[in-house]
Amino acid sequence: MELPILPTSVIGSYPKPRWLLRMYNLYSLGRLPEEDFREAVKDASVAVLREHERTGIDIPWDGEMGRSEMTEYFTSKIGGFRFYGPVRVWGNAYFNKAAAVSKLEYREPLVLDEFRWVKENTTREIVKVPITGPYTIAEWSFNEYYSSKEELAFELAKILNREFRLLEEEGAKFIQIDEPAMLNHPDEVPIAVEAINRAVKGVNVKFGLHVCFSNYHLLADHFDELRVSQFALEFANRKFRDMDFLRKLTHQELGFGVIDVHNPRVESPEEVARAIRKVMNYVEPERLYINPDCGLKLLDRRIAYQKLVNMVRGVEIVRKELAREGKKSIPFRRSV
Amino acid sequence: MIVPALIGSLPRPVSLAKKIEQYSIGRLSKEKLEEAYREHTRRAFVKLRNAGIKVITDGLYRWDDIFNPLIRFIDGIEVDGLFKFYENNFFYRAPVVRGELSLRENPIPEWINVALEIKEEVYPEATLKAVLPGPVTLAYHSINEAYESLNELAEAYANVLGELMKELPVKLVELQEPALAAELSRATREKKEDVSPEVAREIIEGLAKIRELWVVTYFGTPRVLPEGVIMNFDLIEGSVPENYSGRIGLGIVNARETKMERRDRLIDRLRPFLRKYGEVYVTPNTLLDFLPESVAWRKLRLLGKLGG
Repeated sequence: MELPILPTSVIGSYPKPRWLLRMYNLYSLGRLPEEDFREAVKDASVAVLREHERTGIDIPWDGEMGRSEMTEYFTSKIGGFRFYGPVRVWGNAYFNKAAAVSKLEYREPLVLDEFRWVKENTTREIVKVPITGPYTIAEWSFNEYYSSKEELAFELAKILNREFRLLEEEGAKFIQIDEPAMLNHPDEVPIAVEAINRAVKGVNVKFGLHVCFSNYHLLADHFDELRVSQFALEFANRKFRDMDFLRKLTHQELGFGVIDVHNPRVESPEEVARAIRKVMNYVEPERLYINPDCGLKLLDRRIAYQKLVNMVRGVEIVRKELAREGKKSIPFRRSV
Repeated sequence: MIVPALIGSLPRPVSLAKKIEQYSIGRLSKEKLEEAYREHTRRAFVKLRNAGIKVITDGLYRWDDIFNPLIRFIDGIEVDGLFKFYENNFFYRAPVVRGELSLRENPIPEWINVALEIKEEVYPEATLKAVLPGPVTLAYHSINEAYESLNELAEAYANVLGELMKELPVKLVELQEPALAAELSRATREKKEDVSPEVAREIIEGLAKIRELWVVTYFGTPRVLPEGVIMNFDLIEGSVPENYSGRIGLGIVNARETKMERRDRLIDRLRPFLRKYGEVYVTPNTLLDFLPESVAWRKLRLLGKLGG
């Protein structure tokens, strides 16, 4: 399977339409039947999928319309967690941080229905299924039950492995494990690496790993140990500074983050092109995918859309330059 | 004697966050937002009174993190992208130092005035501290593009803070100085330079001449022990150095875990400190922002029960 050179993708989340947020609200108050809520989520999912496709994104997703938040969604589906209330992450952004209070249990598929729906509705051959990774779920939960974070993370890896196997059977080709917390504790990075490797064990799909707002020097030492074929990382937020760690990325692909997801200013296509030319000093274009820094959900929807449009336009500028060198496409690699 | 105290922030109530968001998109007037700040501060002070917390802060409801908005009121700084605040799922906007630092006109003294007025109304017997980030922590968490060394940057921050402290209408100022114990986490970024212990000590002791200082450290054991201040130690992730003999605050309740501590065990833990120091302040070990609001208040009520 071939993709255009510098394939474009998203990280995962996208602003929910206002009407959907109202549905979430009504549903949480018990004033909307579950069936109606599910239908609204599915409609929003198609709307966002189309929006991603209209921007020209090669590998889309549905913007996580059915997920309240990236850990809360999973901790509410896995047995053994309870919620005490929201915790602030920055500014006025909060998430419901769960506490593990008993043995965790895989009660139901986590994202299988989402994947089926997106697959059924997309015009693209490949979609990316983002799933929060085992270490991040452990790190972003309170632990009142397990003897250590390691034990909690490995239990979660087991649960996620079960889900990944289901997704593979269902035809998923590309799963992105979101691990924004995996570098939180420098001493625990080997635990995160082991948890991720346990989660992907025996599953034959392309695995990407997304890590953001972190010190990537800590990750670079483990590039070779991680059984994933791509690292989707954030660079626009840090103004494309301090990229030397990429010298250690010798064979896997880079998902290069070129869009700042916390700033409403829309990057120009020229800025995007400039950033891509810069990263090509570190990673050859055949190993580059282009994406925003992170999920776009905190932006205004129109701004998020325009950012994706300009990202794709910026990519097209560089694609034209690469075409002159005869570089037009790359194979879709499940593993590298 | 055990004196329960608050350090730094309280979790920002979601209802207040919604008002701030509404204001930021033009759906709420400045006056209404100010009303919301005052009302939430009033509610917090009532709850602190009921919990028996004797030394309080304004909960930093007007602050996004320990650096913002102060760094927006300093010339020479541009506010940059988000960085992890130590090993937490909590992010701060980093100061990028592009020129010489100087304090601009700012509303912080007035905010403290407002908090004082509310305190006098609902909890007059409490002591209110103003909270500021410390110069060492500011220096480590800045991206320095202007000063020759981190020592010089820390000194420049100390000058700015000194100016601000002179304007504060309180006797007691809390400096958030986690960097005395945990300089710059590798979770944030790689550390390229240090503030020397001598400079750190000197600038903090210099600030202590302007106002009485309560220096709060966490995420480790401080390697710098300024004299003439109240030092707050994190007993969950650090300890009190043997040679410390000054006034003391003990971060004894874990503000990063929901599991509740047992009162009797906390009392046992405090006994040796009471024997050595006579009077100890007891506090959460770090900012309460890392807990859900309901749990944070439960922990504060527990702290209050240790008092006396």
